[in-house]
Amino acid sequence: MTKAASLAIFGGAPLFARPIAKGQQHFPAWPQFEAMFRDIFERQYYTNHGPLAQALERRLAERLGVRHAVLVANEFIGLLAAGQALGVQGNVVVPAHCSIATPLSLDWTGAKPLFCDVAPQTGLMTAELVAPLLAGRKVSAILAVNPWGDACDLHGLQALARENGIPLYVDSSQGFGCEIAGRPLGGFGDIEVFSFHSDNILGSCEGGVICVQDDALAARIRNIRSSYGMGTPVPVIKTANGRMSEAQAALASFNLDHYTDYQERNARMFGLFRAGLAGIAGLGVRVPSGVSQSNYQNLICHIDEAVFGMSRDDLWRVLRRENLLAGRGFVPPSHRAYAESHETTADTLPHTEHYGATTIELPMNQALGEPDAARVIDLLASIQRNAGGIRQRLAEMA
Amino acid sequence: MDAKTSPEDFALFGGKPTFDSIRSTSNLVRPEFDRFLAYSRLFFDGDRFSDEGRAQQLLDARLAEFHAVRHCVSFCSGFWALVLAMKCLALTGRTEVVMPSLTYRRLADVAAWAGLTPHFCEVDPVRLSISAETAGPCINENTALIMGVHPIVNCCDAAGLEALSVESGIPLLFDSVESVYETVDGRKVGSFGRAECFSMHASKFVNAFEGGYITTNDTALAERLRIMRDCGSRDDGTFFAPAMNARQIEIHAAMALAALDDMPDQVELNRRRYYRYKTGLANVPGLRLVPFDERERSGYKNIVVELLDDWPISRELTLVLLHKENMLCRPYYFPALHQKTTGYPTVWGDLSRTEALAKRFLTLPCGYFVSEDDVERVCDCLRAIHVHGAALARRVPEAS
Repeated sequence: MTKAASLAIFGGAPLFARPIAKGQQHFPAWPQFEAMFRDIFERQYYTNHGPLAQALERRLAERLGVRHAVLVANEFIGLLAAGQALGVQGNVVVPAHCSIATPLSLDWTGAKPLFCDVAPQTGLMTAELVAPLLAGRKVSAILAVNPWGDACDLHGLQALARENGIPLYVDSSQGFGCEIAGRPLGGFGDIEVFSFHSDNILGSCEGGVICVQDDALAARIRNIRSSYGMGTPVPVIKTANGRMSEAQAALASFNLDHYTDYQERNARMFGLFRAGLAGIAGLGVRVPSGVSQSNYQNLICHIDEAVFGMSRDDLWRVLRRENLLAGRGFVPPSHRAYAESHETTADTLPHTEHYGATTIELPMNQALGEPDAARVIDLLASIQRNAGGIRQRLAEMA
Repeated sequence: MDAKTSPEDFALFGGKPTFDSIRSTSNLVRPEFDRFLAYSRLFFDGDRFSDEGRAQQLLDARLAEFHAVRHCVSFCSGFWALVLAMKCLALTGRTEVVMPSLTYRRLADVAAWAGLTPHFCEVDPVRLSISAETAGPCINENTALIMGVHPIVNCCDAAGLEALSVESGIPLLFDSVESVYETVDGRKVGSFGRAECFSMHASKFVNAFEGGYITTNDTALAERLRIMRDCGSRDDGTFFAPAMNARQIEIHAAMALAALDDMPDQVELNRRRYYRYKTGLANVPGLRLVPFDERERSGYKNIVVELLDDWPISRELTLVLLHKENMLCRPYYFPALHQKTTGYPTVWGDLSRTEALAKRFLTLPCGYFVSEDDVERVCDCLRAIHVHGAALARRVPEAS
């Protein structure tokens, strides 16, 4: 694949015979899968905080260094239960550079997002950006986001939240296993929530875990999740059914056993891509930010259209036709998606919008071997070299 | 078998329990493992574990066919399925949902998540369910929705509620969690009202580990529900709210598909258990087995008995005795919803019939873990309770 003319979008054969999805998609091999589920079928314990879920909660609490790890059916229900347990209402500061799911969770507790822009150098929320939003306004909480195996300024945000007497809770959906100065994500803020969607390094199809240090807050969360595993009964406004099944717990436990392998492979692949893509003009590989250790689960690049010679969206379309199901980060950014679906108008948040317009996420999972990585790198280099011609042909097609 | 010939033979007083492990009222049907594996190939081979994969698509199609309805949309749980359906169907600008108080213990919370105020109505004394007669008086200028909830044995008067819905202009949504297999007037449950909601929790008729689904003939509603379960994301890249992530996952869908294949076997086993109960309880005075209406199709899943006035001891003591025998029997929908404290407003008037009924019924062991012999032993134990009732009550005066 060296000529632009042979690109799949112009009728050539795609680079990969099968679609390569973004996201980690870790799953046991068939014989292991069969054994795990035979075990569940023999035990006949299917859900309701079963033995696998209980053991997983203990392991996660220990590994993340938190007092309480509460498993949930998916991360959204985790955020919703966290918001309800904290009693968030009215304004909640959220970075706009995140998935729509994050601000959407606020709808369910009667709160609304106060969108904050992100730092131009990192694409992450900082205490400096949040502080002005708290001035002269009633704000009930800060909901921070750690995207892409990065971490935002959690120390700064924690101090700011404390100064203002409001809770900080954290959507660490993509951050399992990351560390800040050697300390694992999970114990920051009042509550941290991880996602076990299979796109993430620790996947269970869907799923999530709510991490809490405070015993009273944990009791409220367990009572909101309700029924089995409720622990000490405490009053809550209403329950929110959100159990993790034994099937999900089995898959998450398996992937936790293999976490180190996954992380090391991701780091190695990241190194390969970073080195291989280094020479491509206008394409920058994002290095995980704010962490001493990353899970490297998302291979994020930024396209400088003027230098690369082609827009991010054109590149994204070209890659998809090659069966590389690349992503585009957060498109539209959540403040735009939110405004589309609520009676409100979106502020202009220039850095968030810049990230939304320039990000491309390349697939990097087990379906993509090291030789495949080399082919992807060659393809991107070739596209960049021929960007002018490709752009012209795409314009003619449109 | 160790017949109980004196109060001392009851486990509460040191006797040997009827069962050495728990017999519950949860269904917990184990599907054929090889079928589960075969359906798991649907997602395993495609490396796609969530987000409307092949197993979920097949499941939605199979369930729509099973219920003879145009659309089925599956979810992570029946709870959130119901919340989203209520959100969709409630009349804009109105606040109340009419529902029975004698029902599922979380139904009022479901309404609260949907932003609605539960307005509790009475139940029909025979069917133990909401009816047009009991719901009608609760309809007012605030009513946004009527919840037709099927009881756990037989069905509510769906046609009557449909007529009330047409006459009042208030949308009707069914909670059909306990009526997956049933027919009403010969028509399969699934296409009544604007939509119907089901659970696939392991304790329910279809064991998907966890899950739920909505059936409807309304294409626009089905489409809206699919968007709402997926964070409001439409295919064209635009967004809709309210929404959440309530997606069903592939491995749960594979389980549900295997469970669907096993359904005829399950119904046959349930039917046999029910007939054993019918025979076994026929000569236990003071107890009335709530009969399945055999003019309709039935899944025979739940076993409910009423303690009549000549039952010698209280329901509380009956339950304590049974629990000690390792029978995890439950009081039938007790306390009623209006009798519980909630963190949100509720509306209700005179519910004295519900309060009386909430004291009279209990559910007996059923489901996959209960053999026909077990049923005999449950009946023997109940017979022994009746025989020794007075003596048992004397020994535990505070519990009776």
